[in-house]
Amino acid sequence: MIRVAVSGINAVDNPGPGVGIAKGIRESGLEVEIYGLAYDSMDPGIYMKWLFSRSFIMPYPSEGEEVFLQRLLYIKHNYGLDVLVSALDAELPLLIKAADRLQTYGIRTFLPTYEQFKLRAKDRLPEVAERIGVKVPETRVVSSYEELVKATNDLGFPVMVKGIFYKAKKAYNVGEATAHFNEIVSEWGYPVIVQKVVQGEEMNVVGLGDGEGGHYGLVAIKKLWITSLGKIWTGVTVHNENLLKATERFVGEFKWRGGFEFECIVSGEDIYLIEINPRFPAWVYFSAGVGVNLPARLLKAALGLDVERDWDYEAGKLYVRYTDDLVADMAMFQSIVLKGEV
Amino acid sequence: MKTGGKLMKLAISDEGFIFDPETGNSYTTNPTGLLILRMLKEGKGEEEIVKALTEEFGAEEEEARRDLYDFLEQLRAYGLVEGV
Repeated sequence: MIRVAVSGINAVDNPGPGVGIAKGIRESGLEVEIYGLAYDSMDPGIYMKWLFSRSFIMPYPSEGEEVFLQRLLYIKHNYGLDVLVSALDAELPLLIKAADRLQTYGIRTFLPTYEQFKLRAKDRLPEVAERIGVKVPETRVVSSYEELVKATNDLGFPVMVKGIFYKAKKAYNVGEATAHFNEIVSEWGYPVIVQKVVQGEEMNVVGLGDGEGGHYGLVAIKKLWITSLGKIWTGVTVHNENLLKATERFVGEFKWRGGFEFECIVSGEDIYLIEINPRFPAWVYFSAGVGVNLPARLLKAALGLDVERDWDYEAGKLYVRYTDDLVADMAMFQSIVLKGEV
Repeated sequence: MKTGGKLMKLAISDEGFIFDPETGNSYTTNPTGLLILRMLKEGKGEEEIVKALTEEFGAEEEEARRDLYDFLEQLRAYGLVEGV
């Protein structure tokens, strides 16, 4: 029996990837018990007992490495824990730093390096794009209102106004750009990225790098329908050779290790790199559904098992997200609130 | 008729549903469009397609030719054929 902890079980309107990862792992054919790592007693994954046999409230990573690791060790000592699959950006720096320590405790991971993790910053994208031979939308990095106005004058409207790690909003005039700038600064701080809007198809690739320049599979999709938060609701698998080759160059050039999402705009022959996520996206179950079970492969890679490398998925498979509901006993809520576990 | 490589990659169903595996875009067409698309994929020329349209749908030659041009213009606008 392999005991795996999965984080990001907040299956809400801006969902974490944990539920999708757990669904993939359940279909791995391995004998597994999956624990959910939650940050709120209302995280829906806690109540999905068919996926997570146990769930635990975790301390925020900002409380420090010791507190976080103590919680993992508590789980290991009391219930057993072999592998940790992290699915949240906020946990990654701490876990990457602590990966060797976790390994000595018998908790395995399969994470990117810290250098790789830092590539997710949007001000690093031009450098990444140049090294793998793709484009980035014309970009300005701004830290003041004056710089913002100058950037919009240079780029012309519409522009995307983005936080360095999170949030992206389209602006059609200076007033909107200023409002988005202020909102992003108040939430995420400086600097802010201002980017020319590129016309084309929004396509994403989910993948799993082996850390040596190769990979254990890629699946490319086009978003067909997104929510007001910009999250995918329906999508379709595509075979876009340029995009997949660019993703393979990215994995090869940076020797990416672990799960990732490569977000692009494809405009004819041109690929524009928009974002790199250093973990699986929330739609990662789609990969398992089309026969390239990346969550299961990550688990096998973490365990040092032989991992499949085939990724011959069919183009034209649909991904459909939907809402669902369940009924749970108050005793479960009571346990997670009072004991921090259930 | 030279249409470019894109057309060969399209998945076209008997019901007239077209899926572009490179972009993820899908389209629908009527039996006339379906016949034209199939013949283009087979590398058939303008005269052959016009003849098939008159035979299959009982259209006048001039009307069939105009429909073919209109349809090709639409395909070009969607980026599904080049040149032509």
